[in-house]
Amino acid sequence: MPPFPLQSDWAFVAGNLDLLLAGTGITIGLTAASILLGFLLGFPAGAVEVYSRGPLKRAVESAGVVLRGTPLLVIIILLFFGLSVSSSAFVTATIALGLRSAAYQSQIFRGALQSVDEGQLEAARAIGMGRLQAIRSVVVPQALRRSVPGFQNEFTIVLKDTSIAIVIGLGELLTVGQNLYQGGQSTAALEIFLTVSLIYFVLTFVTNRSLDYVDDHFSIPGGERA
Amino acid sequence: MSDPLLELDDVYKSYGEEQVLSGVSFEMDAGDVDVVIGPSGSGKSTMLRCVNRLTEINGGDIYLDGDCITDADTDVNELRKQVGMVFQDFNLFAHLTALGNVTLGLRKVRDMDKATAQEQGYEHLEQVGLLDQADSYPAELSGGQKQRVGIARALAMDPKLLLFDEPTSALDPELVGEVVEVMRDLAAEGITMLVVSHEMGFARSAASDIIFLDDGQIVEHGPPEQLFENPQAARTGEFLSRLETAHEEE
Amino acid sequence: MGTPESTTSGRTLRARAAGLTDQPLTLLTVGVFWTWLVVRWTNDFLLDGALIERNTSFFPVGPFEAAAATLGALAASLGPVGFPVGWLAGFFEFLAASIPYLPQLATGVWATILLTVLGIALGFLIAVPLSVARVYGGSATRLLALGYTELFRGTPLLAQLFVLYFATPLTTIIRELPAVGTGFIPAQAFWVAVIAFMLNSAAYQSEYIRSALNSVPEGQLTAARAIGLSKVDGIRHVVLPQGLRYAIPGWSNELVYLIKYSSLASFITVRELFERTDAIASETYRYTELFVLAGLLYLALVISASLVMEYVEDRVAIPGLGTTSR
Ligand SMILES: Nc1ncnc2c1ncn2[C@@H]1O[C@H](COP(=O)(O)OP(=O)(O)OP(=O)(O)O)[C@@H](O)[C@H]1O
Ligand SMILES: [Mg+2]
Repeated sequence: MPPFPLQSDWAFVAGNLDLLLAGTGITIGLTAASILLGFLLGFPAGAVEVYSRGPLKRAVESAGVVLRGTPLLVIIILLFFGLSVSSSAFVTATIALGLRSAAYQSQIFRGALQSVDEGQLEAARAIGMGRLQAIRSVVVPQALRRSVPGFQNEFTIVLKDTSIAIVIGLGELLTVGQNLYQGGQSTAALEIFLTVSLIYFVLTFVTNRSLDYVDDHFSIPGGERA
Repeated sequence: MSDPLLELDDVYKSYGEEQVLSGVSFEMDAGDVDVVIGPSGSGKSTMLRCVNRLTEINGGDIYLDGDCITDADTDVNELRKQVGMVFQDFNLFAHLTALGNVTLGLRKVRDMDKATAQEQGYEHLEQVGLLDQADSYPAELSGGQKQRVGIARALAMDPKLLLFDEPTSALDPELVGEVVEVMRDLAAEGITMLVVSHEMGFARSAASDIIFLDDGQIVEHGPPEQLFENPQAARTGEFLSRLETAHEEE
Repeated sequence: MGTPESTTSGRTLRARAAGLTDQPLTLLTVGVFWTWLVVRWTNDFLLDGALIERNTSFFPVGPFEAAAATLGALAASLGPVGFPVGWLAGFFEFLAASIPYLPQLATGVWATILLTVLGIALGFLIAVPLSVARVYGGSATRLLALGYTELFRGTPLLAQLFVLYFATPLTTIIRELPAVGTGFIPAQAFWVAVIAFMLNSAAYQSEYIRSALNSVPEGQLTAARAIGLSKVDGIRHVVLPQGLRYAIPGWSNELVYLIKYSSLASFITVRELFERTDAIASETYRYTELFVLAGLLYLALVISASLVMEYVEDRVAIPGLGTTSR
């Protein structure tokens, strides 16, 4: 027994901080890539749900329901072991998180687009804009501003859910923690997992505050009642 | 002669720097109907809310039936059982039917069993002419009906004193009459009421006294004939004539 | 409340299963799904396999295999235009391949439901005082409640599971409790997962309830106080009954969320739906079929939950309260 087991466990974590930080880097990269993919797919999907009709709209809606109704864990495993979309764990995790995030982001954008007053579109048409142009230059800018709070939430959800990529052995933060724990051989379980949690907490906290700032910065003076 | 039912003795109230009530004193006997008038921001609502301690005063004393109710050791819930309040914007419990609104206090404050509470609840709804709306939710009632339920809810607690804070000012003009009529009935039954209202018809016919409050002080206090026909203070006359013209414009 | 989508959180959007829930086909599927589950559970748990042996499926594989083979041959003979028939053949193949695993998955579904329901119900018991503390508490209680929600919402559920399972003596303590892991009562890992879900879900639920409480107009509590109710009674009899109704949509989303995230319990060896699927898959290497099947089962659970919550919302609806215009 070491004289100060607690101390030495913390020292163990401190000694492996570089590994944990490397894992944090992967977590951040995975979050950014997934959010980006989610945005690239989710924004058009939201627009389709609002402005289009027929089979395209139905297809987008159904895909959304399936992606929102299935655990991320199942999506990741299916993509990695079932469909083997990529041999890279990072790419697979990005696709899984990105697809699922797209399904949620589409709902955020759908809501935001729908919340822009009908009159805005009419006013834009009245000054001679085409429908597409009116949507693009009048409705979308307002909708994007309104989606910041929902987007903020989605961002932190993706950030936290990157931890699920542990299932395909991606070396993100939680995986690093799990490796340090060595399946129970380390006595530093509490120290390791608390440190890992703390890092996640700092990440979500910083993300939230930054997006709060974005929200304030881009909000329209005098609110949205034009 | 017995004690007055309500007595305010040199009551002061301030919000931070702002002095809202500056030495308000008056008395009411049981059965009196006193109507408080005064310009916006003069402290009328604040004065009412001090009486059931929804607002705490900074100085002076308030007595109800001889007991000082502004002592630190007064049980406010006990006090509020004895003082009913009717609000300008009704504040009906949105999740309860008209009957539920009237019986909630009976059941949860007076600990009555359900059957007795309902029996009494129906009586009070009948008193305000709404027996047929007992099962309606607030959202299904007109403004005038809502306010009558508000009155029934306050009456149900069998209070010694009823406070009204501009009970008709949130109502469409055509709905004012039904509420005033209920209030008149209550006055005739001898229920003690302290009413903030600019409903001059009610004040003239039902009030025992009129209290004119301005800038946190009672400028004039007397029977309606005196205030309307022969106001002592210049400000009272001005205020009343402004009220009259405002009324004629409507 | 203005525009629900833009003002409520992203998580609120989760369950809005985009109108699928009111289609007759959906209702029929959900009905079949639950009939199967209930009969399966009754047979396996209550009747001790009286109807059919425990690990034997109700459905014969043969006809499905035959159908798949016939359709496959037909598709081949049709050449390039035969692809829709080919798909149908694939579907029957999928069914035939799935059938043998259904009994085991049904047991997993049972654990998944139990985890979710216990987690959310126990979480609710913590969430109500937590949200009341946030809205009506003094500055110290408020801060404490805020700290709790921020901590649990700011870290991954999986990390929380790991902390509780690997890094606290919780497992040992629960293992020592009488009856744990015997008969109907699941083993310790299950209970650790329930505790984690309870703590985590309490934080999320309290957020929904908090914003719902804030949307109850202030005059409601004033009026309650004016008839002599104490503050606590006023909150209990007037504010909460209204606030909890406002909270139902958010609460439904939390339920859906937990159904899906209960799959994380597999990481600490709980034998729920995902763990069962994974175990069979790593024996049979039929990853695609099995996880598609698991995905469909989760989807059925999620849609069922949305339907139930819609029904509940309908049942407790009061004119002028909640989803109707305010
Ligand atoms: N809770 C509060 N905090 C701070 N100031 C307050 C509060 N309540 C009332 N006041 C102030 O006290 C003054 C008197 O308010 P009060 O509501 O009593 O007036 P009132 O005579 O009822 O007016 P009105 O006719 O508009 O209802 C006002 O200047 C108001 O701004
Ligand atoms: Mg007022």
